[in-house]
Amino acid sequence: MDKALLIQLGGSLAGVVLLVAIAAWFGVARATPPLDAEAARALLVVEFPDHRPDAVWIAADGAGLIAREGALALVLYRRGDGYVARDLPWSTIAALRPSNGRLLVRLSDARPVFAVADDVWPPRELA
Amino acid sequence: MLKAAFDPVQMAIPFFVLAVILEILLGRFTKAKANYEARDAAVSLTMGFGSTVAGLLFGGVIFAVTVWVWHHRLFTIPMTAVWAWVVLFLAEDLTYYWFHRLAHERRVWWASHVNHHTSTHYNLTTALRQTWTGGVAGTWLLWLPLTFLGFPPAMVAIQKGISLVYQFWIHTEVIKRMPRWFEAVFNTPSHHRVHHARNARYLDANYAGILIVWDRVFGTFIPEVDEEPCRYGTVKNLANFNLLHNVFHEWIGIAKDVAGAKSPREALGYVFGPPGWSPDGSRDTSHTLKARWRARVEADNASSAP
Repeated sequence: MDKALLIQLGGSLAGVVLLVAIAAWFGVARATPPLDAEAARALLVVEFPDHRPDAVWIAADGAGLIAREGALALVLYRRGDGYVARDLPWSTIAALRPSNGRLLVRLSDARPVFAVADDVWPPRELA
Repeated sequence: MLKAAFDPVQMAIPFFVLAVILEILLGRFTKAKANYEARDAAVSLTMGFGSTVAGLLFGGVIFAVTVWVWHHRLFTIPMTAVWAWVVLFLAEDLTYYWFHRLAHERRVWWASHVNHHTSTHYNLTTALRQTWTGGVAGTWLLWLPLTFLGFPPAMVAIQKGISLVYQFWIHTEVIKRMPRWFEAVFNTPSHHRVHHARNARYLDANYAGILIVWDRVFGTFIPEVDEEPCRYGTVKNLANFNLLHNVFHEWIGIAKDVAGAKSPREALGYVFGPPGWSPDGSRDTSHTLKARWRARVEADNASSAP
């Protein structure tokens, strides 16, 4: 590798670090207040427009929700300043067991953790 | 004739850096809409850096093939003629349109291009979220006919760079609309927001590089409407900020699907079908998502009619 190229790559890398630092320091992320019933409903309409969930459970810290539509579970959880939506069989969700107020959901591409008020699962909203 | 005397993209890097800083500060200190999430920005910028490195790795092969085509060209178009630059501007932009459309409508090329769309933000760092696997995907082959016609490789490289630099500034929410005449002819932040949107109504639209005219000609133009703000990212947003997952997830998805295919036809469908294609139609494609969106709109209209 020639010197000019190394300088260019080094400079680019320094630029990346600088911009990430500025984004972390000054960047304004979207507001993601804890979900309440209304916000949860609105989020479900946007992310699952073809579904009509029968019941919705909101995590104790408001950072996610699990909705039930018959045999299907609709899962939404916060990632950064947005939400990730996934669906999976309700039986999978129902079989989970929380511990120490945390419910770990195994998705194919992530392991989101939901805060539960007590270790009773499934909650009565979804049972 | 073979190697460009300058690279517009390299020359523009200081401008990219300053523009990103300006956009962040506008978002912080004014009412301009410019949301930044540090991890999202980090992935975008690291993708841009990695793309440069990946370009170096594949650059030799691409250059060798291009030189071979140049030696078998039909004509020799002078690099100094103004008319040649005008023709190349149009031809390169048309090539970009079809490359970009293919990159969205066929899964093997989507696997390479999807990285550019995985940010749920739309800011100037999103412009730098470039692929690492373009060399493998072979989309660069689409530009070879220009060299075969007789445009010098250096000229094509410069025009490609100009197009890439142009497309940087349109990745922003700070600019609402450009003047009407400009919106009619050129790709703008508004048109490109639609392209990055994951709302069903906006899917598979506005593939233009510089001239939005191509989308109007080929029927893929969709205007941004104020009553439905763009939501960014992919239909199924990534579940994490893992850089390597971002780069390779669709390639891995293809490999898994092909490994589980029951026939060569199924395997070909998984590779060359539209993203989301499945033999039994159980997965969503842009087409099915749009069809369901239209059905919902029609149902809403019918229920609200007197």
